[in-house]
Amino acid sequence: MSLNRRLFLKTGVAAAALAAVPRPLYAQFGGAPEPLPPIEDPRLASLAARALDSAKSAGAAYADVRLSHTKMRRFFPLFTYDDEDMEVGVRALVEGYWGFASGPVWSPDEMARLGREAVHQAKTNALGKPRIVTLAPAPVVQNGSWVMPVKIDPFEVSPFEIQDELTSLDLFTRRTPGVGLTMNQASSTVQEKAFASTLGSYCTQRSYLTQGALSLGIDMRKQHRPDAAINIECVSPAGMGWELYSAESLPRVRNHSVREEIRQRMEEAREDAMLPVKALDVGRFDAVLDSSSVAGLVDGTIGHATELDRALGYEANAGGTSYLNDPFGMLGTYQAGGPLFSVSGNRSEPGGAATMKWDDEGIAPDDFTLVKDGLLVDFQTTRESAGWLRDAYLKGGKPLRSHGCSSAPSAVEAPMQHVPNLVLAPGREAGDFDSLVSGLADGIAIKQASLDMDFQAGSGLGLGNVFEVKRGKRVARYPSAGFLFRSTDLWKSLLTLSSDAQLRRYGVSAQKGEPPQTCYHSVTAPPAVVKGLTLIDPLRKA
Amino acid sequence: MSARSDRLIRLADDARILSEQDCESIAKRVFAFASGPGETYVSVMSWWQGELRWARNRTSLASDRRDIRLEITRDVGVGRGNVETNQLDDVSLESAVRAAERSAVLAPQVRRPPQLQPPLPHAERPKTAIWSDATYAVTPEVRGEAARALIAPAEAKGMSSAGYLEMRAGSRARLSSQRMGSAPAPWDVPYASWTQAQCSMTVRDKEGTGSGWAGLSSYDWARIDAPALAARALEKCVASQHPVALEPGRYTVILEPQAVAEMVSIIETSMYREIPEFGHGPWVLAHDDVLGLWRSKLGLKVLDERITISHDPADPMLGIFPEFWMQPLTWFDKGVLTNLSFHRDYALQMLNVNAARRPLTGYRMSGGPTSVEEMIRTTTRGLLVSHFSNIRVLDGDSLLSTGLTRDGLWLIEHGKISKAVKNLRFTESPLFAFNSIDQMGEPVPVFRPVKNAYEENAPLTPAIVPPIKSRDFSFTSTIDAI
Repeated sequence: MSLNRRLFLKTGVAAAALAAVPRPLYAQFGGAPEPLPPIEDPRLASLAARALDSAKSAGAAYADVRLSHTKMRRFFPLFTYDDEDMEVGVRALVEGYWGFASGPVWSPDEMARLGREAVHQAKTNALGKPRIVTLAPAPVVQNGSWVMPVKIDPFEVSPFEIQDELTSLDLFTRRTPGVGLTMNQASSTVQEKAFASTLGSYCTQRSYLTQGALSLGIDMRKQHRPDAAINIECVSPAGMGWELYSAESLPRVRNHSVREEIRQRMEEAREDAMLPVKALDVGRFDAVLDSSSVAGLVDGTIGHATELDRALGYEANAGGTSYLNDPFGMLGTYQAGGPLFSVSGNRSEPGGAATMKWDDEGIAPDDFTLVKDGLLVDFQTTRESAGWLRDAYLKGGKPLRSHGCSSAPSAVEAPMQHVPNLVLAPGREAGDFDSLVSGLADGIAIKQASLDMDFQAGSGLGLGNVFEVKRGKRVARYPSAGFLFRSTDLWKSLLTLSSDAQLRRYGVSAQKGEPPQTCYHSVTAPPAVVKGLTLIDPLRKA
Repeated sequence: MSARSDRLIRLADDARILSEQDCESIAKRVFAFASGPGETYVSVMSWWQGELRWARNRTSLASDRRDIRLEITRDVGVGRGNVETNQLDDVSLESAVRAAERSAVLAPQVRRPPQLQPPLPHAERPKTAIWSDATYAVTPEVRGEAARALIAPAEAKGMSSAGYLEMRAGSRARLSSQRMGSAPAPWDVPYASWTQAQCSMTVRDKEGTGSGWAGLSSYDWARIDAPALAARALEKCVASQHPVALEPGRYTVILEPQAVAEMVSIIETSMYREIPEFGHGPWVLAHDDVLGLWRSKLGLKVLDERITISHDPADPMLGIFPEFWMQPLTWFDKGVLTNLSFHRDYALQMLNVNAARRPLTGYRMSGGPTSVEEMIRTTTRGLLVSHFSNIRVLDGDSLLSTGLTRDGLWLIEHGKISKAVKNLRFTESPLFAFNSIDQMGEPVPVFRPVKNAYEENAPLTPAIVPPIKSRDFSFTSTIDAI
């Protein structure tokens, strides 16, 4: 055999170079197909313009086009998968009705066809009753260009090195008897996207998303305990490169290496598993929640409920609506939580899984507040949905603008509103989860809760690792426990939030729409204490 | 030569998905690029979707989307590499093959890759009903017109309608380089093209106190009576307004066919042989300490004897993808567990047979003579459930699950629907519900579309399911969501 792993090992740098050779995809700019140029190439702008011209001459009042080139590499300890796609999608507005057409071919003829088709789609619906659309203003972006700053471009590292890193994590955990990784894979995506609109905006962006699925199984048979399973959440989806795994520490993600994180979590899981098992006392208890559980709760209760399209019924036939079901009446008056509870949205934080310079409508997203001191003050918006709030914004003295929440996984999918990065404002308590537990005289502590929200996000069932706390110590473990909550009541019963230093960021995916689309965002939260959480046995029937 | 640009697949209007010839020629081009020995596999998939989404009584988006997906697997002896792409020009294909080879070589030699599955043996496959010209022919004009007609009755009553219409066509074939020259066919998985139509809608009143849903999916748009769905969603919305809270507890339930299908879906994922043989899931009987293996409940009665769940690919309502062995198959025969599915890997390793037993994706469930009206009339106190939502399995061994009722829940008292009630969270196992059956009705097709065009194992999932009346169904809490 001419090529093998040993040879690659020996040749080191050369191997990295070979593995990193990009696969040339092809685009047509009028003549024969030619290698796909970098996204910044001006000829892409002319391809995009072709689609817009075609849509305009077919009768679009407004049109925009996205070209996306997505490369994904999935890493497993023993192999990799590569996936590379090019897509283009054109959206057109005719008399208040939207049409969309998309496909995989980048050529002038196809641009023209998609432009016409998008208008055709819109026109067939414009035959019906009038539909009024007020698009929030879109400041023109002229030849914008942005590259997400990452420390290590995963596509410039040999996939082989990354495989080795995953293998080394596996070997590292196996050094401890009875421990193994039950899941160990990673993936990196780089997406180049060009956007153009008939308003004259044109911008190109390159963004990254890296994520891992890393979980540990611990065999506790020798200790006569049930086996323990832990998710290592520090590799959840992030707008980062390979530094998600390789950096010594990452602010708001981990203060040490991934190995050290694994080591600490193993130790913690062992300690937890050694706690005596206790039959559940059903009732209401003060509860300390770890940052992972709090982030999940913020996402479940506020992340989806403050999607304005959802609140107004645009998702009624899919995921559902929202308990914030009267946006105009509730803005500025509805108490979504207690005075400690403030949540903001952004698409700008470094490392955020929804971070972008411009959204899929060419809008530079702003950092905006959804809930301030418990009061609902805003919703997540796109250009169209911001228009729905025009009167409310005018009344409140706020400018009419989109918060830049329009996105789609790739250009083949129509852009829609997706959740931005969310941040729960930290509190004043300096301590971490353990120190919050030590401050609790009597109650429960919950780690890594997973949630089932109802279809209006107004209530939910949480499952997770639940512990009994007595005199500031976790003294027992409930083998089967869950908690029920109402979103607003939960945040009104918020007693304590840890401070800035305890904030942790988690990447999550969210599905929305028909046909369903999956996009990513981050949720940042500190550990918290809430009053009177309802503890139940989820396995108990009526 | 301009061959390169000619080979850019356009997916034009008259050919929105790839044909069998397209797939073969693409595969041949891929195989020609493979350098050196070793097998090459190519999966060629394509799809088209015509979609229309509406909300608040107006179309919010109408769209036409097409895409291609090519999965190339190169086995170069030292390892195996996989690459996916959606670009079909020569240079893209060649570089994809090179990338697969590079990735194959990079696969560490710690252990040799598992043997690729041998090609499927050839067999006469029954024609199954998976393609409908009616679905493929639906234009944006037809969808627009249909949507307006579905919205109108709700809007006329002052209600707010949201819904989705989708027509889809797809194609898929998997070819292998080693079979290319060999008779009788070059494919590993034969070429198949299929269609799917779906129509569903939710009607809510303006204050959000009532919600009604109706939906249906089929390979054939002509089999979907969309106006009847619109009438049903509206009727349910009106009837479900201003619900009152009801104490959680155990109730006799009348589950409409959609709700029954959602209960069956909990069972679906457990229906593999591997699961009980590793000592997990609901079909474990006991550990045989002599032989050192787990015995399953195959051959034992596990559900009510009125329940038979089976599938005949020749059934014109139940066409499925022709890549499995296609004999009729019965999973539950009069309540007896008669078959568990398995993958080809399992078949090859454990049974020395090259044939997967298809999973419980398409099926017909037996019914009974009782109509829903009759079930209501014979109920002293119970609940009528439209369907469920947000289902989650809590315990894989008993299939104990939790979830919510949605879009219409009514209290039945003394043979009549007495009031709309607030939605409830249930904590129940479908095995319990299907062992506590009072009455069953006529099986009908339900809404079970495949959501993702690339859901590989089951591009079609038709089911025909009856309404069921079951005793002592456990509801554990009230929820405010409507």
